[in-house]
Amino acid sequence: MAEFAAVSRAGDLGEGEMRAFEVRGTKIAVANVGGAFHAFDDTCTHVGCSLAEGDLEETTVICPCHGSEFDVTSGAVLQGPAREPVATYETRVEGDNLEVKG
Amino acid sequence: MTETFVIVGAGLAGGGAAATLREEGFDGRVVLIGAELQPPYERPPLSKEYLRGESPFEQAIFQPRDFYAENGIETRFGVRVTGIDAAEKVIELDNGESVPYKALLVATGGQNRRIPIPGIDLEGIYGLRTVADSDRIRAEISPGRKAVVVGMGFIGSEVAASLRQLGVEVTVVDRNTVPLRRVLGEEVGRVVEGIHRDHGTELIFEDKVAAFEGAERVERITTQRGHRIECDFVVVGLGVEPVTDMLAGTGVEIDNGVVVDEYCRTGVEGIYAAGDVANHYHPVFKRHIRVEHWQNALKQGPAAARNMLGENEPYDEIPWFWSDQYEHNLQYAGFHTEWDELVVRGSTEERSFVAFYRKDGRVLAAVAINRGRDLRRSIPLIKTQEEIATVKLCDLDVDLRTLTGAASLR
Repeated sequence: MAEFAAVSRAGDLGEGEMRAFEVRGTKIAVANVGGAFHAFDDTCTHVGCSLAEGDLEETTVICPCHGSEFDVTSGAVLQGPAREPVATYETRVEGDNLEVKG
Repeated sequence: MTETFVIVGAGLAGGGAAATLREEGFDGRVVLIGAELQPPYERPPLSKEYLRGESPFEQAIFQPRDFYAENGIETRFGVRVTGIDAAEKVIELDNGESVPYKALLVATGGQNRRIPIPGIDLEGIYGLRTVADSDRIRAEISPGRKAVVVGMGFIGSEVAASLRQLGVEVTVVDRNTVPLRRVLGEEVGRVVEGIHRDHGTELIFEDKVAAFEGAERVERITTQRGHRIECDFVVVGLGVEPVTDMLAGTGVEIDNGVVVDEYCRTGVEGIYAAGDVANHYHPVFKRHIRVEHWQNALKQGPAAARNMLGENEPYDEIPWFWSDQYEHNLQYAGFHTEWDELVVRGSTEERSFVAFYRKDGRVLAAVAINRGRDLRRSIPLIKTQEEIATVKLCDLDVDLRTLTGAASLR
């Protein structure tokens, strides 16, 4: 059963930033887009590179290895070579804590 | 009367062009002709994930199999062109069909270069271009078997890495001093050489195969410098030549592929080309370039299709590709054949760097090993062709995105 887990202080992830956290054994990336936090699988569905090591352009994350692009709000593929979407997760801010439901 | 657009070549460029014609609302007849039996598919996995058995062929298929029928695209797979009458605008196929066209896109790609080496027709010697080729090589793979890879370009390097990863004993023979020397040069090639040596690949440079020997199957190769290497199978990767023979007599200029302008147009009315076969005038590099990579096929096919519909859209994407070898990710962007300065950002020893190929102060191209984010951030620098100070390119604290346009003046 997925539960919220604190991954960071909310203030430590600035606007336009993205970072990967380990949540119960899964690497989950969180992106701050204009103050809204979006969480998604950090592992690219193409060959498994870390998406948090790529670039974030507004709501699009770009894989550093092969250029696949995903919408961080839905996980949808915007540009191949990836075919499968990445999973997304709920986030919330509780007090100072940024939490991910994973 | 209904207009017919014909696309010859059902790879990524041809398949993408067909899809784009429909997306853009073209309601005439679209005929997609391909020599292979499969619908358009992506070739990068053939030397990597697919060859290693990690991903199925269905994942490489470009559009779902029923996409073409659903979109009213007529397909002729396993069919070849026997002639083109450019004056009458009719194309003849080896199934006996004649198809009149209003516009014709040539996206026939390339075929492996065959070098006349004694014994080349023995069994157990493979090139790699199609999924059928990849299947034949796959069937030879098992731990402890011995392979020779001839040629250390991108295909040779990737195949050597995949074979090693599956426990095959690999010896490579290449005429240059380091892998990938023709494209990447000595300094970067040495880094790739080190990666292959660390994985136990035997590397023989500055040598060529003299003969393939064996009774029916290849059993060994001999080299011009006297090496004699026993092997169970051979993969030859000595480059690709564009497939242009069906254009003979049409008046289309052939020079290192089908010569096209920035709109993917040949000099003959109604005939266009895209993908590996096209020697395309690139407005950024101000010269014709021919690119044999995934992204070019993916983007140039649709660009050609839009121009067939009269959109007058110059194709100016910066060429970009990747090559995964073992656990390392190599990427290249731009286009260069010569350079006067190689500027390195990061560390070649640690195999984490971007190297910029510069000429007259401008970055023509960049290659990265395990530094993909920086490589992608370099693409605007290549596109704008501004002069950028070496010290800024090398400073790891400088975000490369800040070096172009108005931002670079700060």
